[in-house]
Amino acid sequence: MSNLDYLILIVLAALVAFIPRVIPLLYFSKRKIPAWFDEWMKYIPVALFTALIAKDVFVTSQYTYNAKNLSEICSTILVFLVAAKTKSMLVTVIVGLISIMGLALVF
Amino acid sequence: MKVEDKNWLNVFKIALPLCISYVPIGLACGILLHSAGFNILFTGLLSIMVFSGGAQFLIASMLAIHAPMLQVLLMLFFLEMRYALLSASLSPFLKKEPLPFLIYFSSSMNDENYAINYLKFATDKKWNGHQAVMVNHFSLLFWTVSNMVGSTIGNLIHFDVNLVNFTLTALFGYMLVMQVKNLLSILVAGLSGVLSVWLIIAMNSTMGLVIATLVASFLGFLVEHGLEGRSDPLLLRSLRLRHRHESFKELPKETTDDHE
Repeated sequence: MSNLDYLILIVLAALVAFIPRVIPLLYFSKRKIPAWFDEWMKYIPVALFTALIAKDVFVTSQYTYNAKNLSEICSTILVFLVAAKTKSMLVTVIVGLISIMGLALVF
Repeated sequence: MKVEDKNWLNVFKIALPLCISYVPIGLACGILLHSAGFNILFTGLLSIMVFSGGAQFLIASMLAIHAPMLQVLLMLFFLEMRYALLSASLSPFLKKEPLPFLIYFSSSMNDENYAINYLKFATDKKWNGHQAVMVNHFSLLFWTVSNMVGSTIGNLIHFDVNLVNFTLTALFGYMLVMQVKNLLSILVAGLSGVLSVWLIIAMNSTMGLVIATLVASFLGFLVEHGLEGRSDPLLLRSLRLRHRHESFKELPKETTDDHE
């Protein structure tokens, strides 16, 4: 990718990030939030985050099944437990990193 | 002038824990962006303009597997869609603000400073839009500087990108756990995970991520709709995973109704 490509990506990414933040604020500061919108949005985050995690753990960068993923599986389970227990983003990320690095030495 | 100075400091104290937690995550993000080909200037620009940990990690990891730009933007759009909900739930508190202010405010809003501002708006009557923007800008400053420092570190020291990339998995893991509220949301998550792996490999493309997200969330929406009216269905029973800070993220609906 050339420098221009990166610049285009940054501008478009900013636009894609900005639109969902600004439109509801402008629209709903005058009106009520419809129930169907609320219900629909509720399930997008869980589905999306799991899809991304599953990709990271089970799929290689060549889009094949990743069989050597025991340390990723263990660390991800640990991440879930720590997140549920501490509810702290920082602690979760740090424990996850220590775990993956530690297990990389073992497996 | 002195009153304003104190206000500045008070808001900074409220934003400080968040700002500090941004430092290690910002560093990791900067390192990954560097390995995805972003120079320090682009990393800074991206951090200011997108200002979303999840989005920036996603860009880095998708560019690392050479996903086409359109797919990166599409995944980004789904990832950032959740801001629509956050921003809608803040809207009742910002009804009196003029249009340019709303645009200015929303450009620097993200998950974490939303959490702080929502809590302050809901509990502190004196909390106003200008203090909220200040929280946004303090967190933006810490995030951008950490990213740029991370980019520099990535330039000097070679890191095992796979290990640093696990920061993203852990971050998404955290965000996922915070979103789980009942059995149905766990089922939706499980379905999405299985579909995602199967579709990415079968289609040989990250488009599988998009389809898995849409199909799983749509089924969750349908099942919940079908269960409406039944008394206390097992699938929708609250799991009470969240108690402290995160619990108010689930409240916007009720609270906004109160404000109407």
